[in-house]
Formats: sequence, structure tokens, C-alpha cells
Amino acid sequence: MDASDPSLFGHGPNRDGRFAVKERWIECANFPVGHPAQVVEFLHRQMNEEVDSLESSARNLSDFPGEDWEVRLHLARQCADEARHARMFRRLFEKRGGTVGQYPVLNFQYRIITQFDSLAARLAIQNRSFEAGGLDAITVGIEQARQDGDFELADLYEAQIADEISHVRFANEWIRKLVEKNPANLLRIAQAMKTASQAFEAVMGREGIEGVNYPADKQGRLEAGFTREEVEITANLMSRP
Amino acid sequence: MGLSVSDRGKAVATFRYVHVELMETLAQWTPTSPEMEVKLMLGEHIWDAAQNADALGKRTRELRLPLQHSLKPVDAYVHLLEELRQERDTSRRLSGFYDALLPGLDARYHAYLEQTDALLDGPTVRILEQVRNTSARMVQQSRALRAELPALGNVDRGWIETMKQRDSRIPTLVS
Repeated sequence: MDASDPSLFGHGPNRDGRFAVKERWIECANFPVGHPAQVVEFLHRQMNEEVDSLESSARNLSDFPGEDWEVRLHLARQCADEARHARMFRRLFEKRGGTVGQYPVLNFQYRIITQFDSLAARLAIQNRSFEAGGLDAITVGIEQARQDGDFELADLYEAQIADEISHVRFANEWIRKLVEKNPANLLRIAQAMKTASQAFEAVMGREGIEGVNYPADKQGRLEAGFTREEVEITANLMSRP
Repeated sequence: MGLSVSDRGKAVATFRYVHVELMETLAQWTPTSPEMEVKLMLGEHIWDAAQNADALGKRTRELRLPLQHSLKPVDAYVHLLEELRQERDTSRRLSGFYDALLPGLDARYHAYLEQTDALLDGPTVRILEQVRNTSARMVQQSRALRAELPALGNVDRGWIETMKQRDSRIPTLVS
């Protein structure tokens, strides 16, 4: 699978000259845990991913002008939240000696999400998949940061996860409404999930996925509007080696 | 003679249309503007424009129009908005939006507030005062950004003056 395959990816967003944009995880600076640059690189990467989320939400607003006003209001709010998250990560890595553009970045989320032509599909991928998966990772991150005595990072994560829960929650609510309004959306979502999964594998490769496993954040997922059944299914899947 | 309920409704619905357009314009610009700091400012302002549109849209219902009702402005203003929306240069985008469009709108809100009855039309007055405060903050933030990144302020003065003049020559937005 090719990380530039046009059947899997749309065009990327524009970036200024500070950024080296790559297409695959293996091309990034992937420092091992404990390496002196690992945390700063991670924070820099997260900053760019928040910008990707902002850009995806912005595209959802401009690409679907006819959608219900209530969901558009949620998308507009998400734009502001993701912009704020990017600033949060930037503030922290600059405080720790990093500079914008210091490390290569990936824009795979934007490139995967924006190729789909229905809002239901985009919400299913961006909010209900990528961001929901983020809840699990952030919860582990909070615990790890506290254990490491990095309370500044733990505070950042706690603020971030509260916002992300809201983003997943509105997506869960609106996907249900959009499917009720037009059951064909269910098929669009299923097709999008399959394509997004292939695209994700093309970007991450075996190297980016092997050994990466978080337990499901059950409480966060419940607050985010997943049903108990959905949470248990996810938790069981994620507990498998 | 002051504004009737119908006059107020049309004006508020027209202002709502404009704020939805502003929101969509900023949303369209966000992924295509290369500069990260610009993206982050636009992201915040998307929410500001949306909240303004929402407040105005709740008011349209109170003025005997449907909830979240929008009315298209006069053609000349629609063309101005569309032209700016298609602008590709970041400096022109910022100058057109924050030096021409928002101050032009502020002048129109001021004119409305002068014309309406602050007691009869109290809720509209309150909303427009909040919209004006928000817009003032947005303009200030854009100036701070352009002070921080001076290259973003390089705009042909003739172009921006033309934009301002075209706006000011439109006597009313209400169709």
C-alpha cells in the first residue's frame, strides 16, 4: 500500500516553509522512550496533529454548507478547541527548548478524512475513530505523566481530553441523526472506515503499529456517547494481544 | 419614524447571513493559508463568527421570522464577500477581512443602533453590542499577529482602499 495513493488520500493542507511534511511514519523522528528529545518531538508532532484536526473541522464547515445549523455550530467550536490545543502543545515544547518545524510532521489525518464526500463519513473517521482512539491514549498519557512527576503535561492532557470527549460526543449524536435521516449514510460510513483503515496502515506501516496498544478509556468513551455495549466491545478488542 | 418589527427582522436576518459567510470564509481559508499562526487565529475566529450568527439566528425567531433565518444581502455586498472569499494571498485575506470587512460591518451596526429604539429593540441592541465587542477583539488579534509577523502586513494600499470604498458605497445591506 502506498502512502500517496490517490484512492486512499486527498491533497494535504498547506504548510509554511518551516515544516518538513512526510507521508509515512517511518520518515519521522521516532525517538525511543527515554531519549532526551523524545518528549519534545512528541509534543511537536501532537501540535501538528491538532492543526490537522482544526483544518479537517474547517473543511467540514466549508464543504457542507447545507447541513443542520446545530452540527455546524459544533464544528465551529471544534475549530476553536483544536486551535487552542495546538497552542497548548506549542507553548509546552517551546518551554522545553523546541522550535516550530524542528521535526518532520505528517498530515495523514487531514488527507484521509477530507477525501470523503459525506459529513457522516468524516465524523465517523475523524471524531468517532481518530479522536476516540485519542481518548484511550491520552488517559494512559495522564497516568504516565503523573508517575513521571510531569504535572504540567498531565494538566495539558486533562484539559485536552475534556474537549475531545465533547467532540466525540457530538459526533456520536449527529451520526445517529444523519443515519436516521438517510440510512445510506451507514453504508458510506462502513466504506469510509474500510478505506481509512487501509490508508492508516499505509502511513504507519508495521513499524508504527507494532507494540502500540492502549486499554480502552471506558469512562471517557461512555461520557463521549458510546453505548455500554460499544464500550465493552472496544475494550475486549483492545485487550487482545 | 423608527424601525418596525419587520424592518428589524430583515436587518437581523441579513446580518446573520453575513456572519455565516464570514464563518465559512475563514473555514475555507484555514487549510489553504500556509502560515500556522494564521490558521490558529482563524480557527478561533471561526467560532466567534459562528456564535454571532447563532445569537442573531435566535433573535430572528423573536422577530417573527423562522429560527436561524438568513436573508441574502444586496447583490453588491454579496459580490464583495464572494470576491474576498476567493482571494488566495494571505496578506490580502487578512487585510480584506480585518481592515475592510469587519470595520465596515461595525459602522453598519453602529448606524443600526442609532436608528433603532433601544427599549423596543432591546435584545437586538444587546446582541449587536456583543458582536461589536467580539469584532473589535478579532481586529486587535489580527493586528497583533501582523505585528508579530510583519510579512503578513504587506498589502497594496490601493487595493485595500478600493475594498473599503466599495463597501462604503453600499448604502444598506438589506435587500
